[in-house]
Formats: sequence, C-alpha cells, structure tokens
Amino acid sequence: MIEFSDVRKAYPDGTVALTSLSLTAREGEITVLVGPSGCGKTTTLRMVNRMVDPSSGTVRLDGVDVSTQDPPTLRRGIGYVIQNAGLFPHRTVLDNVATVPVLLGRRRSEARSAAGELLERVGLDPKVGSRYPAQLSGGQQQRVGVARALAGDAPVLLMDEPFSAVDPVVRADLQDELLRLQSELGRTILFVTHDIDEAIRLGDMVAVLRVGGTLAQFAPPAELLAAPADDFVAGFVGRDRGYRRLQFVGAGSLALSDFPTTGEGWLLVVDDDGRPTGWRQGEEHVALGTVHAEGGSLRSALDAALSSPAGRGVAVDDDGRVLGGIEPEAVITLLHASAGSTAGSSPESVR
Amino acid sequence: MFSSLIAWFTASAQWSSTTGIPTRLLQHLGYTALTVLVAAVIAVPIGLYIGHTGRGRFLVVGLANGLRALPELGVLVLFVLLIGLGLTPVVLALMLLAIPPLLAGTYAGVSGVDPAAVDAARGVGMTERQILVQVELPNALPLMVAGLRTATLQVVATATIAAFVSLGGLGRYIVDGQAQRDFVQMAGGAVLVALLAIVLEVALQGLQRAVTPGVRRTRSTPVVGKTDTVTVGG
Repeated sequence: MIEFSDVRKAYPDGTVALTSLSLTAREGEITVLVGPSGCGKTTTLRMVNRMVDPSSGTVRLDGVDVSTQDPPTLRRGIGYVIQNAGLFPHRTVLDNVATVPVLLGRRRSEARSAAGELLERVGLDPKVGSRYPAQLSGGQQQRVGVARALAGDAPVLLMDEPFSAVDPVVRADLQDELLRLQSELGRTILFVTHDIDEAIRLGDMVAVLRVGGTLAQFAPPAELLAAPADDFVAGFVGRDRGYRRLQFVGAGSLALSDFPTTGEGWLLVVDDDGRPTGWRQGEEHVALGTVHAEGGSLRSALDAALSSPAGRGVAVDDDGRVLGGIEPEAVITLLHASAGSTAGSSPESVR
Repeated sequence: MFSSLIAWFTASAQWSSTTGIPTRLLQHLGYTALTVLVAAVIAVPIGLYIGHTGRGRFLVVGLANGLRALPELGVLVLFVLLIGLGLTPVVLALMLLAIPPLLAGTYAGVSGVDPAAVDAARGVGMTERQILVQVELPNALPLMVAGLRTATLQVVATATIAAFVSLGGLGRYIVDGQAQRDFVQMAGGAVLVALLAIVLEVALQGLQRAVTPGVRRTRSTPVVGKTDTVTVGG
C-alpha cells in the first residue's frame, strides 16, 4: 500500500509541481495517475522511491515513511520501469534483468538463470538474453524493462509512462501483457500515463490530476466515465465516454435472437463445429464482423451488432461456437435496464 | 637526399650506440607515457566528476580552449626558468597539451550516457558510485580513449622540445641536426617521430574499438568525430 498525505513539492525557482496531494494506492491493485503534462504525476511517482523528496507531507510504503529509509536500499525493494526502458547499453539483456538481484547480493549465475525465466514470463524468447539492448525493437526493450523491474521480487512496481514510446499496436500488446502478468502476480502498481484510454484500460483506480498538481478525481474507471466530477475531468476523459462506458457494463443477461437458416436475407455461415466463418446473401459472401464472446461487455455486444452486415451481431461461447444473434435493440434495452447501476458492475469481470 | 636518409637509418652505429635510435625512441616514448599518465591522473577524475554531477562544466570549456592557446616552447622556457633544467619542466609543459583532450573526452563520455539509463540505474537502487563505475564509465570509455588518442598524438609530436632543454628523445636529432646543419639527421628524426605517431594511433584505435561496448562496436567512427568537435570547440 502506498499512501500520500498532504504531499507538496515546490522547487527553489518557485515552480509548484504538486500543491497538496493525498491519495492511497491499494495493495494488489493498479492505481493510475493520469493528467496533462505539468500536473505532477511523474513527480508524485518518483516520490515513492525517493527519486524526488517532497517539500512537505509524507509518503508511506506499507505504513513506513519512505523519508526514513536509505534511498538505494529503498529502491532495490521497488520495481521501476520508465519510458524508453532505460536499459544499460553495455550489458546483455540477461545482465540487465539480473541487475537488482546482483545488487541485492545474489550470485550472478543464479540471477542470470532466474532472469532467463523472467524473459519468458514477459513474453520474450529466452534467446534474446544474450543480445544487447540496441539489437531489440522498442517493444522488446520495454518488455525487458518490465522483466528487470520484476527481478527483485518487489511487491511494489512504479511504472512511469512505460508504453508511451511504442506504436499503438505494440502498446496494446504490452497493456494486455501487463494485465495478464498482474492477474498472476498481484503486485501493487503505481502507473503514470498521459493517455486516458490507457488509464481506463489498466487502472483498478484512476487518479486524474490537474496542472499544478491537485487531484481532480480519484475513482474506478467506470465511475470516471459515468460521473466525471467536473468539467475538467469530463473534458479529459473525452468525447465518446458514453460509448466507452459500455465496456464496464456486463452483457450477461443480454437477450439473444435466433438466426434464420433460409430466406432472402443475410445468412450466417458456420463450419462443422458450429463456429461462424462469414455471411452470405445469395451469391454474395462477406467477412464476419467482430464477434461478442460470452461474458464480454456491452461495448463488445454493441460493436458486434454494428459491425455485422446483417444488422445483427454474433455471440459465441468460450469455444467460439455460435450462441445466438445480437439485435442492437436488445443492447439498448439492457442498457436502459442497467442505467443508474453502471458503477455497480465489476470492471475486472468484463475487462 | 633520399639515399642519404636510408644510409643514415642503416648506419650500424644508429642501432648499437647508447645515443642511437633505440635509446632515443625509448626516451621519447618514456616522456610521452609519463606525461600522458600524469595528465590522465589529473584530468580523468575531474572529467568524471564534472560529467557525473554536471557541476563545473565551464572548467572544461575554459581549460580546453585556454591551454591550447599557449605557445608550447615559451611555456617550457618559463618552467625551466622557474624550476631549472630537468624532466619536470618538460612533463609539466607537455601536460598542458594532454589535459584538455583527456578532460573533454572524459566529460563528454560521461555526460553523453543515455540519461534514461542513468535514471534507471539510480531507480533500481545503485549508489552514486555504482552508477559511475557500472554504468557511466563503461559507456564513456570509447570517448575517453578518443581523448587519450588525441592527447597521446599531441604529446608524442611535441615531445621533441625536450631536446631544447638538454634532454634526449627523438628531438635530439632535430635540434642537433639544425645546430650542425645536418639536414639528413633532422629529416631522420622527423620521420621517426611521424612513424611513432602512426604506430601509437593504430594501437589506440584498436583499443578504442575494444572498449566500445556491445553492438555499438560498428559505430566507432562517429564517436571519434564527436570527440574531435568537443576538443576543438571546447
């Protein structure tokens, strides 16, 4: 658990990075700090491992005031991932990952073999271990950065815009990978980003900061989208927040329709196992739209309906077999029914 | 002229007597090595400190330009007047040539290390000394050796002035040759200095390649170019 109490940071030249911040990042959760540049989010993160010391106020890590601890010792117990990874160019990937265990006094050979396992864990071929950072792509370097942060088995991870410098496709991969890792490891993660989509996607809790370092709102992502505290937050979370909010609404009780098997209209084509492969109308064949997997959110159900040429989406079970059709009206009906209770559905279950 | 130069080189006395080529060469190398060593002991720690902390950057610029503007022979005469004849004034005068490139190379090498790598090093819990030794120094080595190359070449070419104040080295041939109007001897000395400079240059280039970490090995040429800019412009 990370607690910020009345933390203020002012620099000698008079710039105030943080006015007064109080915030608690809960154990085992991803807490995202998001805001425009100059809102003090990175400063806040760097106070946890004493890369920056507050002018006043306290930062506690599991109840212990960090200002009472020796910075290098404190930092060895906290994972640290930064933008562009910051790998050591003169060390191999394996030695980069083994950095913290070696600093903690473990034998190099032992630390290296553990590092090899970690590379696999973050989705890298262990063969890259003998390469140098410059030989890797940006996305691979960032995975190595995450592996290095995990190597010390620190219960707390600080991640400062770790995925901002890679392209959108790789970024989405890395975000999925982080959520997967987090579901296995359950670390306490403080994550800084300027990208509200990333914040909503990754955060269990999201803190929106204003320029000048004040907290505008601290809430779970669904609540942030449903009930922004003020105009600043509403503006920051963006224009299509109504639509994006659907991703936090479960589509469990969605009424499914049957597909016609003959007739003039669009017919769904399925393979022998009952998996959908496309649409057919007379001689015309069209590729499948997005499909809604059982247990997904209303956003994926609505998208399935909207992306289908037949005007009716396809719902499938865990094995990809057709369950039924999704009429846009059914989505709207369910939306009406759940209105007012959106924040109640658990984001974890539908993410 | 060319044949008399060959005759000068091949005369057996040149290779056996105590004032022959091997002795002069070793003396010359000795002055050079001693000068560069003492200069490195002074310049490298200062360069590391300035590069790591960012404090005192003006020193690098000021020294690099200021020391370069001094007339070497005049400085040597000044030191001899102050200290008297001997090795000390020679090494002191030559050091003024060696310090600027060593200082600039070390400073540029350390301050040029990827700031993200240094931030990460601090963030994972390295002490300042560990950051310097384990991250900054290995990545600064190519530029430091580039500084060493420049310093060594400057000193080896200028160490001929030792002969002006009655010491040995390859400068003897030039000074004595001029005094005796023996131009073959002068040319022989100049050729030897040039050859020695080339051999050292090749050796130090090899060293620079060897210390370039990881895959950056292939990029040693722009690295050298960068130091040259730094040392010339300060």
